[in-house]
Amino acid sequence: MRQVLIAGIGSTPFGRHSEIAIQSLAIRAADAAIRESGIDRKQVGALYLGNFVSGPLTGQEVLAGLVADGLGLGQIPCTKVEGACASGGIAFRHAYLAVASGMCDAALAVGVEKMTHADTATTTAALNCAMDNRSDGISGLTFPGLFGLAWQIHAERYGTSRDQVSAVVSKNKANGLLNPLAQMGANVGADQILQSPLICDPLRLYDCCPTSDGAAALLLVAADKRAELASSPVAVMASAQTRGSARIAGHPDLCTFDATVMAAQAAYAQAGISAKDVDFVELHDCFSIAEIIDTEDLGIVPRGHGGGYALEGRTRVGGDIPVNPSGGLLSKGHPVGATGLGQIYESVLQLRGQHPNQVRDAAIGLTHNLGGTGVACTVNILKRIDA
Amino acid sequence: MHIKVLRCESCGTLDPGPRDLCAACQSDKLVLSEAPGAGALVSWTTIRRAPTRFKGQAPYVVAVVKLDAGLIITGRFSGTEENLRLDLPVEAVSEDEGAYTFAEKAS
Ligand SMILES: [Zn+2]
Repeated sequence: MRQVLIAGIGSTPFGRHSEIAIQSLAIRAADAAIRESGIDRKQVGALYLGNFVSGPLTGQEVLAGLVADGLGLGQIPCTKVEGACASGGIAFRHAYLAVASGMCDAALAVGVEKMTHADTATTTAALNCAMDNRSDGISGLTFPGLFGLAWQIHAERYGTSRDQVSAVVSKNKANGLLNPLAQMGANVGADQILQSPLICDPLRLYDCCPTSDGAAALLLVAADKRAELASSPVAVMASAQTRGSARIAGHPDLCTFDATVMAAQAAYAQAGISAKDVDFVELHDCFSIAEIIDTEDLGIVPRGHGGGYALEGRTRVGGDIPVNPSGGLLSKGHPVGATGLGQIYESVLQLRGQHPNQVRDAAIGLTHNLGGTGVACTVNILKRIDA
Repeated sequence: MHIKVLRCESCGTLDPGPRDLCAACQSDKLVLSEAPGAGALVSWTTIRRAPTRFKGQAPYVVAVVKLDAGLIITGRFSGTEENLRLDLPVEAVSEDEGAYTFAEKAS
């Protein structure tokens, strides 16, 4: 496999984009990524587009071809990939493989979602497409509910407290205040979180990520293109993808996602590093408790200590291992198909030393994107090129 | 009450279903069978914002139960979550369109 570089990045702000068509959001982000790279767009040999529910929510499919057409790319293979909330991460891995394998010298990964225009019932029904609706769905379970189940066990088994989980919310909301792309950065304290309405016990409103519109894109090239680049590139050290159980009955333990554990192990092995070499992490905090579980599954925090690390400030920027300096899904937003690529966009800025919430001396970053009931996971490890 | 499950005729594995091939041996010889509805509570949550088809029922408690027969089922818990704890002995008490409701096991 060849060395792959991220040569260009683009993103819309995450939030509400009522007046912009879904393909236009994707084209804005992708066009910015192409222009920044300095690569001629006719050199792009493949496009992978991550999207979850454009059909039910916007009535628009064939997005990959539509976006390539709008961008003025060649008549190249254009493929939409879907893995619920991990759709963006999967699109990135496919673009990475297209370049790493030698199939093409440049490939585009684009992620997009448009959700805020739909009413809550329609959005909930669309999001519930990500669970096995013939088994878990018939009980009336929801996605927040899945994390309520996980929280209950984490609290009983490890003594994880409401204050510890609230520390995750406060940190990510505060990080989002510094990020111009974030949908809802805020200063929120433990009392305010505790006063927000219960969604599914013990999850409250502040424990849940918002509904978002947005797009993010990355242009990947083979390392031998480096001299042609107009931007400062970042190296891809590893890109791993795994499958976990599609239903709750298949999870032997609801307090861990085996897809994350396996993807992290595969990524560390591919990169030839261990968890302690990572300088910062952008992970899948769709719900506050998810960040605690993910830090443990990724091996950056000892099992059962995710809550303690959060409350002690060890996952803040300036702490032992900064987690979600972008604000994460909780604060930056979660335009489902774009989320995994947005994490990589943020990480590239960190590794260039240009992030608005910069981690000092960041040389290696890790991104983690998880879909459905843990059915799909991607973990990427990125490196500053002089590091 | 008993719970409807799938039983693999080749290797005996039980599965809550629906499933096309046995998860253990991939045989397609899955037959409808029954397992005792007694088990232990794995976790629970109270759903206050429900999907449209369950809206009229909210708030309701979703429970994950590990049956004594070995398999895990996602269902409902009858009543509120106030006195629930991990490993609480429970048993199935009713069924509605394939979804089972559990209650604390009468001792
Ligand atoms: Zn079998």
